[in-house]
Amino acid sequence: MLIDRYSWPQKLALYAAMAVFLTFILLPFLEMFRTSLSPMSHLFHAPYEIWSDKFSFDAYFAMWKKVPLLGRYIWNSIFIASAVTALTMIFVIPAAYAYARLDFPLKNLSLGVFLSVNMFTGAVLLIPLYRVMNTLGLLNTYWSMIVPGVAFLIPTGIWLLRSYLEKIPRELEEAAFMDGASRLYTLRRVVLPLAVPGIMVVGVSVFIGAYAQQYLFAITFNQVAELQPLPAGLNQFIGYQTVEWNQMMAAALTGVLPVMIVFLFLQKYLVAGLTAGAIKE
Amino acid sequence: MATLNLQNITKSFGAAHVLHGIDLAIKDKEFIVFVGPSGCGKSTLLRIIAGLEAATAGQILIDGVDVSDAAPVDRGISMVFQSYALYPHLSIYENIAFPLRVQSLPETEVKAKVGKAAEILKLTDKLALKPGQLSGGQRQRVAIGRSIVRSPKIFLFDEPLSNLDAALRGDMRVELSQLHRELSATMVYVTHDQIEAMTMAHRIVVLNKGRIEQFGTPMELYHHPATKFVATFIGQPNMNLVQASVLGTTNGLTVEFSGGQRMTLPVDCTTATVGSLVDVGIRPENLMLGDGLSMTVRVVERLGGVAMTYGDMPDGTRICAALPGDTPVAEGAVVGLGLNVADAHVFDASGAVMRRLNAPTLVV
Ligand SMILES: Nc1ncnc2c1ncn2[C@@H]1O[C@H](COP(=O)(O)OP(=O)(O)O)[C@@H](O)[C@H]1O
Ligand SMILES: [Mg+2]
Repeated sequence: MLIDRYSWPQKLALYAAMAVFLTFILLPFLEMFRTSLSPMSHLFHAPYEIWSDKFSFDAYFAMWKKVPLLGRYIWNSIFIASAVTALTMIFVIPAAYAYARLDFPLKNLSLGVFLSVNMFTGAVLLIPLYRVMNTLGLLNTYWSMIVPGVAFLIPTGIWLLRSYLEKIPRELEEAAFMDGASRLYTLRRVVLPLAVPGIMVVGVSVFIGAYAQQYLFAITFNQVAELQPLPAGLNQFIGYQTVEWNQMMAAALTGVLPVMIVFLFLQKYLVAGLTAGAIKE
Repeated sequence: MATLNLQNITKSFGAAHVLHGIDLAIKDKEFIVFVGPSGCGKSTLLRIIAGLEAATAGQILIDGVDVSDAAPVDRGISMVFQSYALYPHLSIYENIAFPLRVQSLPETEVKAKVGKAAEILKLTDKLALKPGQLSGGQRQRVAIGRSIVRSPKIFLFDEPLSNLDAALRGDMRVELSQLHRELSATMVYVTHDQIEAMTMAHRIVVLNKGRIEQFGTPMELYHHPATKFVATFIGQPNMNLVQASVLGTTNGLTVEFSGGQRMTLPVDCTTATVGSLVDVGIRPENLMLGDGLSMTVRVVERLGGVAMTYGDMPDGTRICAALPGDTPVAEGAVVGLGLNVADAHVFDASGAVMRRLNAPTLVV
């Protein structure tokens, strides 16, 4: 389209801005990768060397011996984040639909209250949460890391998905209603299939949120080594004398790799979901 | 069999009063058109009949049974939406089958019914496609297909042709009239387009600001508009309105126009008072060159058979005459326009008509 054409100075500025932005985001990853390849002796070497022929993938092999449960931690991370995402979506989808389409008392107020809970970071609520977990007997179980994760992610999930559902034309649901379809039938056969891109976006953002939250809940509510997620497990690379930075970075990268690969495949849906509704057909 | 009765339907959205006491009796197998300007409450009234919206007060009776609180599907009503409301992720087959799937009918029955609907609507070779792959007219047909598989008693249409281009609209008008004959069902059709109303309706409901202005056959509305609003809404181009003052009320209404011309119009003028002002309504097709009103010609549009002649009267009133195509009128010229007094409509200050006494007897 004609309107998409930029003049070359505009293009230059756009690309420059993008380069700065990407540098900020990607540089830490590059540095992680570089660190993971360096031998320990090289790490505090001055002057700083971008590349050296002493670099190797040794840390990627050594890390499994140094921390024997590493594989388990990676699995735990993915399991906890996936469980949080699945549970969150089970609550978010019907709630978001209700907020998008139904009228009920205190609709806006209740959503506001939910969201305001998100204003508190988990950290502020750790002590009360600890007592709740203790009372429910959930300490030192997977649940202790899943339940608070779900609770903190539901409000933003509702908020995001609601605005997506609101863009699905009401007439589609009215047409189904005219034909005798119940709300649930309409939700299942009409609304949800059309909301797939939106559900993907919310699912991914919930997953990322769940992954990021794990650390805090894990170190507070769980002492069982076999249940720890990766961020907490990485602590074990911190020894009494030295920190095995190269192995720690190697483990961190290995841990996020499967997630990144999944996201690469989901990208198609993400872009569709993020731009949907921008253009009316 | 399906008669539809509306009794004193009112509707308010909060403080906004949209419908004020609608009473209507629709006969079995009638094709009824609701027509009126945008925002007059047509869609709202249709949605109340459908059961998508609850009336604030009043009753809806179908075949004499009060269905005011019944769900749409229990009313035996189906509706075609202005946006078609097709499900973009489902095939045409599944779109048409949707109401049958809701009833969980066996596949053989679904197949037979969808096949029959597709045949009537010439969609048989499109069943495997998605709505996005069809043209506007075809999507329209799918929407109609979905409404007929359920064999409802009453069909509702909300401006179904407004998203189509002019040529297709003409074709679809004919197809819809034909469909009505084939299905022999009661249909209620909403439009803001008076041509659709005139061409398709058995009877037209003219709505204005949430009230029924008039309910009658197309030719009744054309020859006997009850109000000034109906008179100017029905007929293309619009009826001319020329102000005049009343001189006498014996043996018809004697009026004087601002240019001094006098005419005695054969209307029922029992309510008129001498000295009051009235609007004389004259359809462009009833004007001819001759003695009478004078007009300075501004624009002549020659359409072939007719020459649409637009101009101003001496007092500035705009006037339009549909003259024979070859009439030698030139832009800028001053011409006289005559009329047969029996063709004149007269409206009092409130907009109500004084009934014409020598109007053509209706053949339709
Ligand atoms: N859900 C609603 N809430 C508030 N006002 C509405 C609603 N639906 C329609 N209206 C108002 O009712 C009036 C009639 O609307 P509508 O029936 O859609 O008119 P039409 O179909 O004749 O163009 C309009 O003024 C519109 O703004
Ligand atoms: Mg409308």
